[in-house]
Amino acid sequence: MVQGPHIVKAFSEELEQIAAQVATMGGLAESMISDAIDAVVKRDNDLAADVIARDKQVDQMQHDLEKQVIKMLALRQPMASDLRVCISALKLVTDLERVGDLAKNIARRARDLNAVEPLALTKSVERMGRLVQGHLHQVLDAYSTGETDRAVGIWERDDEVDEHYNALFREMLTAMAEDSQLIGPGAHVLFVAKNLERIGDHATNIAEVVHYLVTGRELTAERPRGAPLGQPE
Amino acid sequence: MADKSEETRTLSRLSAPDRPRRRDILVCACLGVGILTVLMASGALGFGPWLAGALTLSALAFIYWLTALTTAEARPAPARAERRSPEGEAADVMLGRLSIPVLLIGPGGRIERANPAARAFLALGSEGGLLSTALRQPRVLEAVGAALKGERAGVVEYSALTPVESHVRAYVEPIRLDVPGPLPFRAMLVLADETSSKRAERMRADFLANASHELRTPLASLSGFIETIAGPARDDPEAQERFLGIMRDQTERMKRLIDDLLSLSRVEMNEHLPPSSVTDLAQLAADVIDSLSPVAAARSILIRAELPGGPALVTGDRDQLHEVVENLVENALKYSADGSSIRVSLHDGAGRDAAEYAETRLGEAASRMTLTAPAYEAEARYAAIRVRDSGVGIDRRYLPRLAERFFRVDGQKSGPTSGTGLGLAIVKHIVTRHRGGLTVESAPGGGSVFSVFFPKAAEPAQALETRESAE
Repeated sequence: MVQGPHIVKAFSEELEQIAAQVATMGGLAESMISDAIDAVVKRDNDLAADVIARDKQVDQMQHDLEKQVIKMLALRQPMASDLRVCISALKLVTDLERVGDLAKNIARRARDLNAVEPLALTKSVERMGRLVQGHLHQVLDAYSTGETDRAVGIWERDDEVDEHYNALFREMLTAMAEDSQLIGPGAHVLFVAKNLERIGDHATNIAEVVHYLVTGRELTAERPRGAPLGQPE
Repeated sequence: MADKSEETRTLSRLSAPDRPRRRDILVCACLGVGILTVLMASGALGFGPWLAGALTLSALAFIYWLTALTTAEARPAPARAERRSPEGEAADVMLGRLSIPVLLIGPGGRIERANPAARAFLALGSEGGLLSTALRQPRVLEAVGAALKGERAGVVEYSALTPVESHVRAYVEPIRLDVPGPLPFRAMLVLADETSSKRAERMRADFLANASHELRTPLASLSGFIETIAGPARDDPEAQERFLGIMRDQTERMKRLIDDLLSLSRVEMNEHLPPSSVTDLAQLAADVIDSLSPVAAARSILIRAELPGGPALVTGDRDQLHEVVENLVENALKYSADGSSIRVSLHDGAGRDAAEYAETRLGEAASRMTLTAPAYEAEARYAAIRVRDSGVGIDRRYLPRLAERFFRVDGQKSGPTSGTGLGLAIVKHIVTRHRGGLTVESAPGGGSVFSVFFPKAAEPAQALETRESAE
């Protein structure tokens, strides 16, 4: 999201590079989520190990991008929309780095889950995972294209993720109450779901940053929330 | 067309002098030396200073000439492009007509050329930006980076599962261009969409697994009854009659199951190909209600239809949409008590939020769930059909699983009249194919509302006219 050329061509190019690298990092985080879910669903330990290894790459990218943005702030003193590009890049890399961590965490849990018998609830995990992944994908698209409407649309839809999480939580608790054998793996599944729910929250953060980047204003309205987690039956 | 205009733009950009050209430098230097000579001739300048000044000017001119040399080198390439051979032009046209996305990536990951198929596939704007913004696939970007250094990168496969599942094989090849300078390499990126074959592969596996798993139960009961009829019940015509009745029901159920599985496979197979025909949703809903009213009348259930007078045109395959509405109304009939009523309503031209859910909630305890929805677009308009039943409602925790194949809410009656557990799965896949949405709202004890929405078709001018004249 870079507007109009600058007199100094290198400045425009550097801004564009920053935006492109944030998008690349977003792509990396997206692929990590996708593979982490696959590792859970297909019970693939190699894929899980791969996701865990890729987290280092995300951390490295965050480090590089932060350095680049700080250099840009120091050397070119950007203003107005240029400044927002820099500030939002700083915010986005933090969110994306967290998303990478959460994906890594899911991959770790996948390895533990693969050590025990398959669970019936992985379909629910997959469904929730794809939903969250779709949200992240769409806000990153909105970042690349500058469509605030789309970002706000996703921002408003985070309660869908919460609703999926609540349903999975209740179902898992019922299953665990019926069969104490399920408590171990069930706890892992609950954490996987919690991590996915957090990734959804980071996607809404990104939507807020995209809105700020394009309009210069903050998204002020109270984010709609799903009804609070019900008591387990 | 767009390609050509862009090319001319690139040409003009390249030939535009953004640094001094050789001729200008020469003229400036000569002018300087000339002025110095005039000054010396008029006696204002000694020979020593004249020589120093002239030498400095020549040295500066030489340095400028050298820098101009490095930037001016891009120029011969466009000049060659202007005098292109007919073969080259034909190759360009072929590239333009090719339905496979082909891209040329330049230094720094900038898209230098993209054929129309690639522009459509990656939703590129008019100007070529950076590849990493258009295609966020780390492994493809890595391969392109390697190709730009002249290394062989080979084939990379990637899958995007959202918003629509797709599997793509990316071929990356380094190309060495005949340009001097430190960066002679470009990367050619060819994207081959392999969604169809991947899907077909998985469908087959899924079909076999589902069919063998779900048919096992009725088959086991059939063989049990056959053994009983052949053995203990050999001389008991009354029991035989009863068992044969059950066996008939079971075979009916198996038949329905196989029909539904086949229909699901067919829908899933084409899910990534959006339909192009136009269907009137209002007429279709009226047809479905007509065809199901005998079933409703037999159980004295009242179907209340709230359809607008005019047509509601959506982009969609008529048969498939019929299946969707029929499935929803049938479900509503199935889960409503005798003598109650169901309501079918159509909302035309709704925005995304209005299409997803009705304005009023079913009740305080009602919960909502989007089972499938297209990527968010603020401007898109939809036509939505809502089917409200007066059944017992569905527990909130089961809502996400409703469209899962073979999923049944606990305690739901199972028997010869029950469904196959595939109805909503079929609905969901059809809706996804149409880039529409499926949502459910349910209040325990208060019934459920299932909504489907489909993108509006661009209204043909003629239809608009006839409607205006009718008004």
